[in-house]
Amino acid sequence: MAVNLKRSSGGQGSVKVSRRRMLGWLSGVGLVGSGVLSAISNFVFIKPRATYGQPQRFSIGKPEDYPSGTRMALDARRICVVREGNKLAAVSTTCTHLGCIVGISDTGYACPCHGSRFDQDGNVTGGPAPRPLPWYKVTLAPNGELEVDKDIEIQPGSYLTL
Amino acid sequence: MSPKTSKPTLWSTLKDMPMNVWRSIFRNPLPSNDLERSSTSFTNFFLHIHPVKVHKHSLKPSYTLGLGLISFFLFVILVVTGILLMFYYVPSTTQAYDRMLDLRGSVAFGMFLRNMHRWSAHGMVAVVFMHMCRVFFTGSYKKPREFNWVLGVILFLLTLFMSFTGYLLPWDQLAFWAITVGTAIAGYAPIVGKDIQFLLMGGTSVGQEALLRFYVLHVAVLPAVLVLFIAFHFWRIRKDGGLSRPEDADRIPAMEMAEEGVKPEPKRTYGLQGLVRGPLHKVGNVPDNTVFSWPHLFRAELFVFVVTLAVILVIALLFNAPLEEPVNVMHPPNPAKAPWYFLGLQEMVSYSAFWGGIGVPGLFVVMLLAVPYLDRGTAGVGRWFAKERLLANTIFLTFVIVNVVFVIIGTFFRGPNWAFVTPW
Repeated sequence: MAVNLKRSSGGQGSVKVSRRRMLGWLSGVGLVGSGVLSAISNFVFIKPRATYGQPQRFSIGKPEDYPSGTRMALDARRICVVREGNKLAAVSTTCTHLGCIVGISDTGYACPCHGSRFDQDGNVTGGPAPRPLPWYKVTLAPNGELEVDKDIEIQPGSYLTL
Repeated sequence: MSPKTSKPTLWSTLKDMPMNVWRSIFRNPLPSNDLERSSTSFTNFFLHIHPVKVHKHSLKPSYTLGLGLISFFLFVILVVTGILLMFYYVPSTTQAYDRMLDLRGSVAFGMFLRNMHRWSAHGMVAVVFMHMCRVFFTGSYKKPREFNWVLGVILFLLTLFMSFTGYLLPWDQLAFWAITVGTAIAGYAPIVGKDIQFLLMGGTSVGQEALLRFYVLHVAVLPAVLVLFIAFHFWRIRKDGGLSRPEDADRIPAMEMAEEGVKPEPKRTYGLQGLVRGPLHKVGNVPDNTVFSWPHLFRAELFVFVVTLAVILVIALLFNAPLEEPVNVMHPPNPAKAPWYFLGLQEMVSYSAFWGGIGVPGLFVVMLLAVPYLDRGTAGVGRWFAKERLLANTIFLTFVIVNVVFVIIGTFFRGPNWAFVTPW
């Protein structure tokens, strides 16, 4: 546009035309711009700022609740608590494929939706799952209760030693 | 009216009132000649989207199978029954399922309307797909109808989205796990996938927000878009010169005339209505292959509508729409199966989430959209399975069969944990 303005600054008539064109361009940019802005603001509107969900960090009771050899699925929390001797861990039961809850099977975990299978440590042994089941950090709180934090994934195989 | 009665008395005004009201709405008497037949098509709001005259070839049931009309009439049934169901439905995770039970137990015709709505929805998915096959196998997507094919593909996708957002609303087991899986598939889309998943679910997990969002999509957003595209689709049919037909469909009468030694009359008058119809159509006594829409087209449409409605009524009387157990967020049903038309997709997803859910379906859609711009040959338009289109038809038929096979595998050959089973 700037080039146009310079070139046409010589004659009286062409100055008029280029001003008109300039205003036309500005109006066009303004209209399209406000259209884009309102479209974006619609998306900002429907993207919730606060979500209603379960807390990601929660208590799962005392270590005594899980005797050695336990593999107990807490479906409401979507984790499975595993204890071997004095080692304890929390494995996710949300299938890494498409989010169904995996069930405990003889060899590990099996997903009813699309047939993914995992071993006891959550490694993929079959089906379409792209990643192993994550392990979550478990800590022993001062009040003697176990606390799981689903925001912190840890290396599979790293147990909490009681 | 004679000049004597030119000053109406109160009595005559009242006496003529019903007739005057009638004539102010319907400007024409029931047509008894060609002019009135044209006028009726033109001046009636509900008829004027039709042409005044329609090609005989377009009226052949064996050519169109009436599939486009059936799709539209199923949509009309869905709108009516859907609005009625809205009077009782509440999009709340605690109430939705109970409302389904209320429909069955305490609402007059509640179950019946839900059956009609469900079976019409299944029917619409099937018929829209068959309509697409018809258009392909008759080569009807070719110039000048390329863009209307594109609109049709969009309508097919919208139909699938409508049905997907619809079967979530009862908030039964199928609903919950379908929403979980469906939004997770969206999450596999490149770059924006996770954002789309978050927007659809209204949070990080499937719950009340997700149900409300899918409800709004189902009853407001998608129907509005669908109506817009249907109107666009219909308008393009008119502007693209009506339904596709073979080249020789127009030539026959001219050849017959030549054989009979009849000269076309040189003097032609073009009436306004003739011009609107299209400059290629002559007004006059030249024989052509068109007939008046009143009554031929309208009678055919009424017939298709009545049959469609009757079939849906009978099916709704005989079969109840499925309703699974109430939502149990802890235990997906095993196996967790989508409705039949998504089982092909579910089967593909069970090999790979990205390729089965995003990659291959996305490729299919892109290919469908590109078909009329890739296949530029003009031969074989307007005939089923034309020899000239053997290659294109074979490719398309292969895709159709592959999809059907996947649906059959997903429906009959998958058992608990999606393991391969034999149905017998």
